[in-house]
Amino acid sequence: MNKKEILKLAKGFRGRAKNCIRIARERVEKALQYSYRDRRNKKRDMRSLWIQRINAGTRQHGVNYGNFMHGLIKENIQLNRKVLSEISMHEPYSFKALVDISRSAFPGNKNVVLPTRKVNVSSINV
Amino acid sequence: MASSATFTTLFLSSSFAAHCNISNHHRQISSPKTPPLSIFKPLSLKLTSSLLLPKTPTFSSIPKSSESDAAVVDVEPDNTEPEPQTESEPEPEVEPEPAQVVEASNEEPKREEIFAVVMIGGRQYIVFPGRYLYTQRLKGANVDDKIVLNKVLLVGTKTTTYIGKPVVTNAAVHAVVEEQGLNPKVVVFKYKKKKNYRRNIGHRQPNTRIRITGITGYQDYPAVTLNS
Repeated sequence: MNKKEILKLAKGFRGRAKNCIRIARERVEKALQYSYRDRRNKKRDMRSLWIQRINAGTRQHGVNYGNFMHGLIKENIQLNRKVLSEISMHEPYSFKALVDISRSAFPGNKNVVLPTRKVNVSSINV
Repeated sequence: MASSATFTTLFLSSSFAAHCNISNHHRQISSPKTPPLSIFKPLSLKLTSSLLLPKTPTFSSIPKSSESDAAVVDVEPDNTEPEPQTESEPEPEVEPEPAQVVEASNEEPKREEIFAVVMIGGRQYIVFPGRYLYTQRLKGANVDDKIVLNKVLLVGTKTTTYIGKPVVTNAAVHAVVEEQGLNPKVVVFKYKKKKNYRRNIGHRQPNTRIRITGITGYQDYPAVTLNS
């Protein structure tokens, strides 16, 4: 790429890396390498985020993520984690229906820990 | 998420309904849904999203509703033109606003309160009637083709949910192909240090924009009735 394109990609960089071509070229190459790598990492990160959200949603109903997914697989429900996390956020009643189906298909082990309601000391009025 | 204990089914569709009507009136103003990966997508997703990011999609529902409010204020003065412009400024500003708010809330009930999860091109999307969606390029589909999507994994209405195992039988999502375009360019830059190896390639993935017109055929499936 020529200098103009490199300096256009270097907008917002710190110090001389946005102005001076020799430094900008190095930083822009590094930035493009990171973007290549992170396009692959983004898929992993998003899946991990979805799993955390599904976990939080199911634990509100007393089931943990592992047992929930096992129950869904047993019932041959093929919704993926992206859609499950969106449903758990925006469609609570549909999500509760899914949790109930999963729980009836696979009751799971008895070691599920429900989140305990912690009362803040300062909020207690004496 | 604990705060969603209130009855918020289909809150996505109701908050986007105003903005969908505006995109029908004015072809220029069409804010994208969340991209498939996000979410919504974006949505809208995202990831993104679509959706993501939807992708996005999905995760940026709060800026979307503010976008639709701004769009309402911009679009409606065209409909309420015949006011005399010679009046002092405070009066025309106050009068159009209640008219806009009333019109927007009267137009919302046209949207049916239903959503579906459909699988297209190996990816799953949450779909609402009247909204558009970017998917992988559908070969052999021309612009203004009616399309029926059969892999419907879940259908939800205000009162019931139909959960498919894996597919809701006989359910179909009808859509119209709007445009066969390309995604924004992604620069694929490969570099190995100290080996004088650099490859700079641009890539635009082909996509298809489809607009969902309706969701049918789910009524006879065993449903889960939600206690609303």
